[in-house]
Amino acid sequence: MSTSPGKADFSLPPAGAAAAPVLRAARQRQSLSGALIAVASVAIPLAIWWGVAVLVTHMRGVPFPTPLDTYRRLVALLQGKLLVDFTIYRHLGDSLRRWAIGFSLAVGLGIVSGLLFGWSRLLERLSMPAVTVLQLIPGLAWIPVGILLFGISERTTVFMIAATALAPIVINTTAGVKGVSELLLRAAKMMGADGRTLFLRVLLPGSLPHLLSGIRVGFANGWRVLVAGEMVVGTATGLGYSMIQARWNLDYAGAFVCIAIICIIGLIVERGLLLPLERRTIDRWGLARTT
Amino acid sequence: MIELQQVSKLFPNDETGQVVQALQDIDLSIGENEFVCLLGPSGCGKSTLLNLVAGFERPTSGRVIFDGEHVRQPGPDRGVVFQEPTLFPWLTVEQNVAFGLRNLQVEASERKRIVSHFISLVGLDSFARARPHQLSGGMKQRVALARVLALDPGALLMDEPFGALDAQTRDRLQDELLRVWEIHRKTVLFVTHNVEEAVYLADRVTVLAPAPDSITADVPISIPRPRDRFSPEVREATIALLRVLANLPCCVLPSQAERPGQTVSLPGG
Ligand SMILES: Nc1ncnc2c1ncn2[C@@H]1O[C@H](COP(=O)(O)OP(=O)(O)O)[C@@H](O)[C@H]1O
Ligand SMILES: [Mg+2]
Repeated sequence: MSTSPGKADFSLPPAGAAAAPVLRAARQRQSLSGALIAVASVAIPLAIWWGVAVLVTHMRGVPFPTPLDTYRRLVALLQGKLLVDFTIYRHLGDSLRRWAIGFSLAVGLGIVSGLLFGWSRLLERLSMPAVTVLQLIPGLAWIPVGILLFGISERTTVFMIAATALAPIVINTTAGVKGVSELLLRAAKMMGADGRTLFLRVLLPGSLPHLLSGIRVGFANGWRVLVAGEMVVGTATGLGYSMIQARWNLDYAGAFVCIAIICIIGLIVERGLLLPLERRTIDRWGLARTT
Repeated sequence: MIELQQVSKLFPNDETGQVVQALQDIDLSIGENEFVCLLGPSGCGKSTLLNLVAGFERPTSGRVIFDGEHVRQPGPDRGVVFQEPTLFPWLTVEQNVAFGLRNLQVEASERKRIVSHFISLVGLDSFARARPHQLSGGMKQRVALARVLALDPGALLMDEPFGALDAQTRDRLQDELLRVWEIHRKTVLFVTHNVEEAVYLADRVTVLAPAPDSITADVPISIPRPRDRFSPEVREATIALLRVLANLPCCVLPSQAERPGQTVSLPGG
């Protein structure tokens, strides 16, 4: 009566070895056209930028920087030329630092409150209206609030970043926690989980896919407002600050370099880091992709 | 071991204001190491009864006693295997089985030993590092069994654990369960709506009808173990149980009863 376990139940789906060469060829063709599309997606905007630059320079007589001008200025700055009294490295470093502090605050606060709101219906009902409003407030609206709270200082910029990054993290974490199946919670309790274990080992990992997409949106919000924050608050360093200051020196190419760096870093963090992390989590857990 | 005294459970519905009576005045007593199958049609309150013993729900009236004490909350002394796989998708098979042991603060090397023992016991050694989504339904239920057995519970509470599996896998898992049960004796409360399954597994089959009828029959199955599911004894006992069901007052009667050679189930799931 003790049967040995059968085969069918135990084998993972085979990798389809026989079809491999055909599949590989198809995949190569696909990746080739994929690469072409990727190149085009960069080349076309660059071409448009170039066209606009040439057109504007001719028609209005102002030196609208072309991609090449911007690139040359970038190389010069990377070699140590000063931009608004400081090196580009200093500006970049200061911006990243402000962003990192503000964003970390938002992530920490967002995850903790998201876990609480998802867990307690009462807390959720009390707080969600405020969080929804928070999400609707445009980043620039935080300027007067920040200045009143912290004066004209770096802390205002950090505050603005945290304030704009917070709402999506809270909202997504809450949704993630609420989405954790009641059966999983029962299973955990049945296995002797206490409150702490439920939070850290069930609710937190259970809401991770949502939480990560909240972090991704929060990152984008915070990164965007960083520029505005530095522009207005006059922090004396930073990419946003130097972008605004560069135009007083008619250093438009310098301003464009700042814009380009901001775009590239944003792109790298979002597409290169956060999105793959989110996808990997979802795939590893075998969850259906929703995005 | 498990004792229900005059247990009733009502579910008030906040929106409609209506009250569903899931259980009414249930008396049930299950002895130590007894294997009891709770049989009944869909919606008659089987899961509710099991959830009361597990401590997920509290009775509206009456008493639920486990091992001499009132049941107040779920705990590792009553291992539950659910119908749907409820493994943690972010943990590997190994980590899933270790989950409860960590809560009980079993020391790491001991934990490792227990985990690997129960993973081999259910035949999943080569899948110790796999994640739940890489497993078939039958394998998931094996893991679900291993993770509660690892806690050495006094009782196993199983709520139609094989109900979502195909017939062959279900038969095999029934055999596995009995084999494991011979090694690690436990009190088992096994919910099913499948008559053959109940006869093959149980020392005793308890038939539950929708409230207010409550427990309507209690049939001992005295076929010696190990049993052969194709033996005349099992077949006769199945037919005898079906006769009992047919003579019951109400809706427990299975409409497709006594069609030889087919799996006999009460309606629904
Ligand atoms: N949490 C609940 N809230 C409201 N009604 C419930 C709840 N759980 C079960 N019921 C009702 O109680 C009855 C018994 O359900 P259940 O115990 O799940 O039956 P079974 O497991 O035998 O199919 C059903 O009518 C069901 O609708
Ligand atoms: Mg049920």
